[in-house]
Amino acid sequence: MSEAISRLRQEAEEAKSAWKPRVKDITEDFTSASNQLEPGQLVKDEWFTLFEAVGALEIMDPKMDSGFIPPGDTFEADFDPATPVSLPELLWVMDQILCLEIMWHAGYALSQTVFTSLHIDRLLGPQQPRIPTLYSPTGGGPPENLTEEQSIGHAVLTAYCVAVIKCCDMVVGLVQSQNFYEEEDFVTHLFGRELLPHMSTNTIDGMLDGVIPRLEDFGNVGEDVKEALLLRLQFRSIFLGVLSDRTSEQQWEQMLGLLKTIKTSHTFSTPLPDAFSDKVQRQLATSTPPRPMLSTSWEDACTKWSNMCEHIVAVNRLTQSEVVYSPACLQRAVWAFSYRGEAFPLPRAIMQDILFGEQAIRGEVLPYDLLLADIRDLVLAGDTLVDPQSFQVEVTTDPRHICSRLIEGFMDKAIEEYLNLYRMMCQNRCRIRRTFTQSIPIFDAMVTEAKNVDVELQKITASKKLTDTRTGKAYSLDPLSSWARFYKLRIMAWTIQLGFETEIYLPDELGGTYWFLAQLSQQRSELLDRVLQFTIGRSFHVRHDQNAVADCMLSEKYLESLHAVSEITRLIAEALWKLFTLLTSTGVVAKPERDYASQQLMYEARMKPYLAVVNDPVPSAAEFDDATTHHGSLEQTCNEVDEHIKEAKQLLVGVKKMTPEQAKYLGTEEEWKKEVKGLEATCIAVAVTASQVRNAGKKYGEDGELATKLECKAERRWAEWWVVPVIKEKVSSQVALR
Amino acid sequence: MSQAGKDEAATPSNNSVCEPTKVDELQYVNYGDQKESQYLSAIRQLISQDLSEPYSIYVYRYFLYQWGDLCFMALDSSAKLIGVIVCKLEPHRGGPMRGYIAMLATRASHRGQGIASKLVRMAIEKMIEKDADEIALETEVDNEPSLRIYARLGFLRTKRLHRYYLNGNTAFRLVLYLKPGIPYQPTYPPEYGGPADGGGGAGLLEEDLFARQATQLQLEDVESERHDVTGGNVYR
Repeated sequence: MSEAISRLRQEAEEAKSAWKPRVKDITEDFTSASNQLEPGQLVKDEWFTLFEAVGALEIMDPKMDSGFIPPGDTFEADFDPATPVSLPELLWVMDQILCLEIMWHAGYALSQTVFTSLHIDRLLGPQQPRIPTLYSPTGGGPPENLTEEQSIGHAVLTAYCVAVIKCCDMVVGLVQSQNFYEEEDFVTHLFGRELLPHMSTNTIDGMLDGVIPRLEDFGNVGEDVKEALLLRLQFRSIFLGVLSDRTSEQQWEQMLGLLKTIKTSHTFSTPLPDAFSDKVQRQLATSTPPRPMLSTSWEDACTKWSNMCEHIVAVNRLTQSEVVYSPACLQRAVWAFSYRGEAFPLPRAIMQDILFGEQAIRGEVLPYDLLLADIRDLVLAGDTLVDPQSFQVEVTTDPRHICSRLIEGFMDKAIEEYLNLYRMMCQNRCRIRRTFTQSIPIFDAMVTEAKNVDVELQKITASKKLTDTRTGKAYSLDPLSSWARFYKLRIMAWTIQLGFETEIYLPDELGGTYWFLAQLSQQRSELLDRVLQFTIGRSFHVRHDQNAVADCMLSEKYLESLHAVSEITRLIAEALWKLFTLLTSTGVVAKPERDYASQQLMYEARMKPYLAVVNDPVPSAAEFDDATTHHGSLEQTCNEVDEHIKEAKQLLVGVKKMTPEQAKYLGTEEEWKKEVKGLEATCIAVAVTASQVRNAGKKYGEDGELATKLECKAERRWAEWWVVPVIKEKVSSQVALR
Repeated sequence: MSQAGKDEAATPSNNSVCEPTKVDELQYVNYGDQKESQYLSAIRQLISQDLSEPYSIYVYRYFLYQWGDLCFMALDSSAKLIGVIVCKLEPHRGGPMRGYIAMLATRASHRGQGIASKLVRMAIEKMIEKDADEIALETEVDNEPSLRIYARLGFLRTKRLHRYYLNGNTAFRLVLYLKPGIPYQPTYPPEYGGPADGGGGAGLLEEDLFARQATQLQLEDVESERHDVTGGNVYR
């Protein structure tokens, strides 16, 4: 038996060492085969599509064929990773890898970043032993007569590179476990390589731990260089650790601290650019053309690393316990996270992992509880319908039991898309807008569904109705459909404002778009106003129950804040609708000729995401047309704009007084302030433009003249979500307007 | 796919800065069904000059063999290729008949003379004649001349496509409807790039991976909406 085992082992060893990369020259076969075809003759099956056509690469075209070797060039890079390196050179190589690694995090392929390190290439090569080495598997072990410095250098480099590879491996795993868009946000493609899946983090940590004392004990090198190397090993060890156990928040901050010292100690390094080459791409499996090796400055790379760590620290800060129990605060937190500068897929994945990783948000709040809290905070505060105890009642004839089942049934249908909202906010901006537009019909269908449930609930609870003071008509709260409708209307408004941010609209489209935004905001305001009336009514009704009263009062404040924000949006949108419409009708904002378009077809193209809405159908093309036709005088319009802005500013004064508990911006206090400031600045900018237009009108008259005197740029200088017309006199007629 | 000519604005029109040269009388011709035409290599050369990404010969053949009638060329008096437009026309996911402008390029020395506009107009007219419902294309967000040309003809920006091109540039999707009712026509889900890719822990199938790479080579059909961000398999 043991004999058999040893024979098998021997055979396996032999088979392994017999493996050699073989190259077969097929030039002649290929030429003779292709000679049988006519020039231009296409041999394809009927399933050959554009995908295949685009996937095809032309061999020997240097732009396409990553294996192409220019005349006079060598196939492999000249630098042998087994070459001894000095410690300052080692420092440089480690830093260069840091640069490339962060570029990969920022969205570039491994083939043009980390994989261009010849040391890493060697470690990932075929036939490496279980613990890979820098030495060629066919060329024997380490070079002879290595000095102690060189020997330490190799040990450090090996441990460091192996740890880098493992970090990449874990980042790929983490990012892939959540939602992201390949190539748009990140490239997980490994080009046929494996990132040491068989090596455990413990083993690698052991390697790092092993080289640290060797380096510490080595005396024959400047303290600066030694210290710099140790810092990098420490940094790597923490990164490796925190990727395998992400519960420790302090470690990201520790990394941030280390980065500051790492940044300055780069000066002690000696460049070794030969240790990197994009020739490695010639041996990587790919169906895409070669991509150039990336270069970035050390400062830039350090900034990127810091930013990424800061984003991750922010994830933890933004999802504190006080936040995750409040759906409104949590949504604000995810938005705030989404707007934190340069996007890295790792922090986004960590955010999603916290939100969705353990079936409970931060391991604490169950998704259904979050949804129920959302419904309660918005439409049913203090009501037994959403009291968690009602859901525990088992007596089937008890109205609480019956209502709870009805609400559960609705939540079952709503939960997926509701949670999607949080996930969508973790994507790139273009995707956020597009996935939100797709969410609109889903929320609209949810409104329809909720209406039915509301009818059932009304039958059982016989909730009080309120009378509209203006129309005298009685109406009921319809809690679930009101809730779904609120979200639908808000998402619709978001898609428009994300459209401003992503520059989807041409300047002459802005008038109509703002009109639509104002309509949606008005509907939202009216809805919130009604809900508020019911909540106030409920707080009287439940006055014997202190907790319920407290819930109602909290909700009232929240509803007031939502109402104020919705009104501010409406007012600024109305001001900008009128201003843009005026500027477009006078020709100051140019309208492209659009030779092949018609009003109706443009309406359909622009409104496509909203046309499927059944509840609150969107305005017709004719209504749009009417809204974007300028009525009244220039003076009058400018006065109206001023009025809207004045009103919006007044509301902003009130909003500024709202506490984080009232308006539910706990954990995002800074962002709240910034948003309010952005709105104030937008108001001022709109007022300035209005006054300039008024003055220009007085000076040049209201008609055609204006277009020849003024030029207009649509700018988002004051807030990402608001495009404001900025007026300038044309150079030929530059006289002060004020 | 992309539209060349980003630096059009920087090119002095009619060579006004240099010695004024008489603009050569151009003739506009259809590529037709001549398969491997004498112009194929010139077309390739002209287009690849302006684009950072290379297209293989198969991409050109794919378009020109099937929709040679939707390819138009501007030639000077010595039959030298000055500008070209390459398109296709087929039902979009089983729904509307969608024309697609895949490539548009004008020789740098001849920009600012309306050649590209003229080529686009010819392609649009031909598509209308062939009963197209809509026309779509992508162009880089900072390609001002291209955006201007299409805006003038009536195209609207409907989507911004993050890092759409292989070089990392972002694109706008531009759309022009030719008939009413297009948004109401049902389409089936995209063949590739279903919602499962891009995460949800689903891992990457080879096919998905390939589709993504194809996406990077600026293909509209693979660039598809992946609505279900949770990574489920339902397309809505």
